[in-house]
Amino acid sequence: MDVSNIIESLKLIKPEIAVSASLILVLIFDLIFHKDKKLIPYVALLGLFATGYFVIHQFGTTGFGFATKSTFKAFGMVTVDSFGTFFKLLILISAVLVLFFSSFSDEIKKTTDRLGEYYVLIFGMILGMFLMVSATDFLLIYLSMELLSLSSYVLAGFTKLRDRNSEASLKYVIYGSVSSGLMLFGISIIYGLTGSTNLYVINSLIQSPQINVLALSFALILVMAGMGFKISAAPFHFWTPDVYEGSPITITAFLSVASKAAGFGLLIRFIKTGFAAMTLNNGYWMLNPIFDWKLIIVILAILTMTLGNFSALWQNNLKRMLAYSSIAHAGYLLLGLAVFSNQGIAAILIYFFVYMLMNLGAFLIVMLIADKLGSEDVDDYDGLGYTSPFLGISLAVFLVSLTGLPPTAGFIGKLYIFSALIDAKMFVVAVIGVLNSVVSLYYYIRVLKHMYLVKPKIQPVEIIPGLSQKFLVLLLVVPVLFFGIYFSPIVELAKNCVVLLGF
Amino acid sequence: MLQVGLTHFLVIGAILFSLGIYGIITRKNAVMVLMGVELILNAANINFVAFSRYGNFGLNGQIAALFVIVLAAAEAAIALAIVLNIYKTYSNVNVDEISNLKE
Amino acid sequence: MAGFPILSLVTFLPVLGMIIIMFLKKEQALTIKYTTLLITGIQLVVAVVMLLNFNYNAQGVFQQSSFQFIEKFRWIQVPGVSWLGTVKIDYFLGVDGISMPMILLTAIVSFIATLSSWNIEKSIKGYFALFLLLDTGMMGVFVSLDFFLFYIFWELMLLPMYFLIGIWGGPRKEYAAIKFFIYTLFGSVFMLLVMIGLYFSAFETLADGTKVHTFNLLAMMDPSNFSANGILSPFNPSNLRFIAYIALFVGFAIKIPMFPFHTWLPDAHVEAPTPISVILAGVLLKMGTYGILRISYPIFPDITKQLMWWIALFGMINILYGAFVALAQKDFKKLIAYSSVSHMGYVLLGMASLTTAGISGAVFQMFNHGTITAMLFLIVGVIYDRAHTRGLDEFGGLAVQMPIYAGFVTVAFFAAIGLPSMSGFVSEALVFVGSFSVEGIRVLSILSSLGILLGAGYMLWTLQRVYLGKLNEKWANLKDLDVREYLMFVPLSIIVIFLGVYPSGMLNIMTTSVNTLVNLVNNGFAKVLF
Repeated sequence: MDVSNIIESLKLIKPEIAVSASLILVLIFDLIFHKDKKLIPYVALLGLFATGYFVIHQFGTTGFGFATKSTFKAFGMVTVDSFGTFFKLLILISAVLVLFFSSFSDEIKKTTDRLGEYYVLIFGMILGMFLMVSATDFLLIYLSMELLSLSSYVLAGFTKLRDRNSEASLKYVIYGSVSSGLMLFGISIIYGLTGSTNLYVINSLIQSPQINVLALSFALILVMAGMGFKISAAPFHFWTPDVYEGSPITITAFLSVASKAAGFGLLIRFIKTGFAAMTLNNGYWMLNPIFDWKLIIVILAILTMTLGNFSALWQNNLKRMLAYSSIAHAGYLLLGLAVFSNQGIAAILIYFFVYMLMNLGAFLIVMLIADKLGSEDVDDYDGLGYTSPFLGISLAVFLVSLTGLPPTAGFIGKLYIFSALIDAKMFVVAVIGVLNSVVSLYYYIRVLKHMYLVKPKIQPVEIIPGLSQKFLVLLLVVPVLFFGIYFSPIVELAKNCVVLLGF
Repeated sequence: MLQVGLTHFLVIGAILFSLGIYGIITRKNAVMVLMGVELILNAANINFVAFSRYGNFGLNGQIAALFVIVLAAAEAAIALAIVLNIYKTYSNVNVDEISNLKE
Repeated sequence: MAGFPILSLVTFLPVLGMIIIMFLKKEQALTIKYTTLLITGIQLVVAVVMLLNFNYNAQGVFQQSSFQFIEKFRWIQVPGVSWLGTVKIDYFLGVDGISMPMILLTAIVSFIATLSSWNIEKSIKGYFALFLLLDTGMMGVFVSLDFFLFYIFWELMLLPMYFLIGIWGGPRKEYAAIKFFIYTLFGSVFMLLVMIGLYFSAFETLADGTKVHTFNLLAMMDPSNFSANGILSPFNPSNLRFIAYIALFVGFAIKIPMFPFHTWLPDAHVEAPTPISVILAGVLLKMGTYGILRISYPIFPDITKQLMWWIALFGMINILYGAFVALAQKDFKKLIAYSSVSHMGYVLLGMASLTTAGISGAVFQMFNHGTITAMLFLIVGVIYDRAHTRGLDEFGGLAVQMPIYAGFVTVAFFAAIGLPSMSGFVSEALVFVGSFSVEGIRVLSILSSLGILLGAGYMLWTLQRVYLGKLNEKWANLKDLDVREYLMFVPLSIIVIFLGVYPSGMLNIMTTSVNTLVNLVNNGFAKVLF
C-alpha cells in the first residue's frame, strides 16, 4: 500500500472526513465556549451541511478505497458507490432533522450543560453509520458497527432524567455487546475458513467446493445476529421496545431511522458483495448456493413483521408502539431483500426514503405532545385532535402513511415492496405481507380513535406549536402527501442508486 | 512431545466462547454478563491470531485482534459507566430486577 | 364539449369545496353548509350536463375510442433500465353506459345527503370537509379507467368514512367504524396484489412503439396485450388466474356486501348518522358490483363464465338471507340495512346471468337501490330525529299524525317491494328475466323469487306496525315534514316513479355498453369477437 494509493483512497471518503472534522470542531468549540452552549447546535448544523455537500458531490463516484495490496486494487476496505451514497444521504437528512428535533425537545433542553457531548456523540454515530454502509471488509464492518453502537449506548441513557433512561442504556449495552461479540466470533471463523476479511476475496474463495459448509453456516448465522440486532429483526429485536421507550425521543427517532438504514445498507452490501456470483440482466442476483440466504431472510422477514405487528396491538405507550411498528417495518424491508434482485433493492430504497419521512414525523409529533403533556400514553391523547388540530391532522397523516394507505407516500413504499415480491413470484409471502399491513391498521388507527373518537375524561390541553415547529412538521407532512401522489422522483432516485459495486 | 497446533487454539477459543455464552445466560449481575462478553471477544481474538499464524494468511488476523482488544477496552469503559449509573439509580446491578419498562 | 375536462371537474369539485371549507371559520356553520350544498349542487348539474351530452350508441367497456369525455394524461413516468421496465401510469378517466348511471346516482345521493346533513351539530367544519372528500373518492372510482387510479380512489374513501361513522355515529360507533375499516382494507389488499399481478402480466404499446407494463384497465381486457408467460396471462396454464379472480372478487364482495362478508354492514348502518347511511347504502355498496362489472368481468371473462353459477348462488343466498334476517329485526334501521343486503343480491343474480337483460337489470337495480334505499334511510332518519328511537314496536299510526311523510313512506316502501310502476319493479323483473332464461341458474332464479315475497312481507309488516293502526299517544306531538325534508323526498320520489313508468330513460343509457360487455364475456375475449 503506497502513499499515492492512500491519497487516492482519501478522496473517496471525503464525507467521512467531513464528519470527523465536524466532530472534532464541536468538541473543541464546546471546550472553548463551555459557558455558553447556545452556539453548539449551529456549529453541528454547519458540520452536517458541509458533510452534505460532500455526500451530494459523491453521487456518481465509484471506487474502492484502502486496498490491502496495491496490486489488488479492486478489493478495498471501503467501497464507494451510489448505493452507499443514497444511504449516506438518508442518514444525513435524518441527522439534520433530529438536530432540529433536539432544539425543540424539552428533554434535551434540560441537559444543556452537556450539550457538547450530545452532539459529539451524534457525530460519532453518523461516522459509524457512514462507514457501515460503505464497508467491504469485516474489520471495518466490525469497527464501524462498534463506533455506532458505543455512541448510541451512551445517547440512549444520555439525559438521565428518569430511571428509564438508564435502564434503556443498560439493556442496549448488554444486548448490543453480546450480539457484536457473537458477530465477531463468526467473523473469526470466516477468516479462518477463507483467510481473508475482505468480502470480495471471500466471495471468490467460497465458490471453491472445499469450504466447510457447516462451519461457514454457523459463522454466517453468528454474523447475522450482529446485523439483525442493528436492524432489529426478530429474534434479535428484544432490546428495541425497551430502548426506544427509554431513550430520549430524539435519539429514539434517530435510532429508528438512521441506525436501521445503516444496518440495512450493511446487510445488503454484505450479502451482495460476499455471496452474489453475478447479477443477471433482468436484475436478479445469482447467489452462491453454499448458503440458503433466501430461506433465512424470508423466515426472518415473516417472523419480524408478524411479531412486530402483533406485539404493537397491545401497546399503550406511543413510543413503545412506534418501536414495535418499526420492527414490523424492518420486516417489510427484509421482504424487499428476500427477493434478491435489483427490483427488491430499489423497493427497499424507496421504502426507506418514505419511512424516514413518516417515522421521523410521527416521532416529532409524539415529542411535541409529550413535551406539553408529559406523557406518551395513548389514553392521554383523548380529544387531542380537537384542541390541537394541526398536530392531530399531521399525526393522522403520518400514521395513515405508516399503515400504507393511499394517497400517502407509505403506500408507494408498500406498493414497490409487494411489486418486487409478485414479480419474483413469491405470492404466499406477499399475501402474508399484506395481511400484516391489515393488522397494523388496527394499532395505528387506535391512536386516531383516541384523538378524535373517544370523549376525553378531562378537558384536553391545547397544544399550540411554535412557528418553527409548525414549519418543521410541514416539512415532513408535505412530502409524505406529495410523494404519495407524484412519486416519480423517488423512483428515479432509487433506480439510479441501486448500483452496487460487486459481482 | 505434543506439538501444539491450530486445533488446540481453536479448541481453547471454542471453550472460551462457550463459557462466555454460559456466563451471559446464567449470570444476573450486569458486570458478570459483561465479563461473559469479554470472554467471547477474546475467544474470537484467539481464533484470529491462531488462524493468522497457522494459516499463512499474512498479518491481517493479528491486526484484527489488536483492534478488537482496543475496542473491547472502550466497550468495557462505556458499559461499566452505564452500570455505575444504574447502580446509582437502583442501588443494584441485577439485570432481572431492572425492568421498569413494561412488556 | 370536446377537450373540456368535465370528469375531472365532477370528481375534484368536492376537493375544491373541502379546501374552501378549511379556510372558513368554525363559527360560520351556515356558510359551510351552503358551500357544501352549492358544491354538490354544481356537481349534480355537471352530471346532468354530461347526461345531456351522452352518446347513447357508444359502447365503451373495452374500447378506448368509444368511451366518452375521455381524459388521458401521463401521470408517472420513469424511464426504464434493463432490470426495471419503464414505469408509466396514466391519469385516465372515461365514461360509458355502465358508469354513467353511477355518476348520476353519486351526484344525486350526495346532494340529498348534504340536505340531510343539515342537523349535524358536532364539529361541522370537519364533517363537511370529510363528506366532500368522500364524495371525491366515490366519484373517482366510477370514472377512472386506470387500475392504479381506481385503487387510489377506492382507498381514499376509507378514511373519511371511518371518521364520519366514528365521530358522528351512534353509541357503538367506534366498534362499527373500525370494523368497517378493517373489513374493507382486508378486501382491498388482495385487490392490490391482483392489481400488481395484472400490471406485470399486461403490456401496452406506447405511441413510439415500445411495450411497457401498464395499469390501464382497457389494455388488460385485450388478450393480445398479455405475454405468454405473464403470471396472470390467459395463456398461462397455471391456476393463478383463477386464484386472482377469487381474490379480486372477495375484495369487491366485501363492499357489496356479499354473504358471508356482510357482517360489517348492519353495524356500520346502525351506528352511522342518517346522511352517511344514505351515502353508504346509496353509493358505496354499488362500488363493489360496479368493480366486478368494470374489472373482473371484462378482464377475466374466461373465469367469470366458469364461476357464474357460484355468483348466482351467492346472489340467491344474499337475497334470501337478507330478507329472512330483515323479518326478524326490531330496529327500523337494521331492517333497512338487511333489506339492502337482500336487494344487492338481485344485482349479483342479474350479473351472474351474463345476459343483456340480467346485466341491464343489475345496473338498473344498482341505480334504483341507490335511490330507494336512500329514501328508506331518510325515512328512518326523520322519525329518529323526532322520536330518538328506532324500535319498530314503539310506533303505530304515524300515518295519521304525519300524513305527508306517510305518503312518501308508501312510495318508498312500494318501490322497495317492487310494485309495478315503481322503478324497483322494472329492475327486479329484468334480473329475473335474465337469470331465468339461463338454463344453469334457472333453479336459483326461481328460489330467489321467494325473496320478493319475503321483501313484501317485511316491508308491509313494517308499514303496518309503524304507520298504520292506532296512534301511540306518546308521539302525538310529532311534526310533519319541513321544507328541507320535502326537498329531500320529492326529487327521489319523482325519480322512483318516473323510472317506474319510463324505464327506458335509464335503460337506453346502458344498453349499448351492457350488450358489449355481455358479448365480451360470452365470447371469452373482445379480440376474438371484434
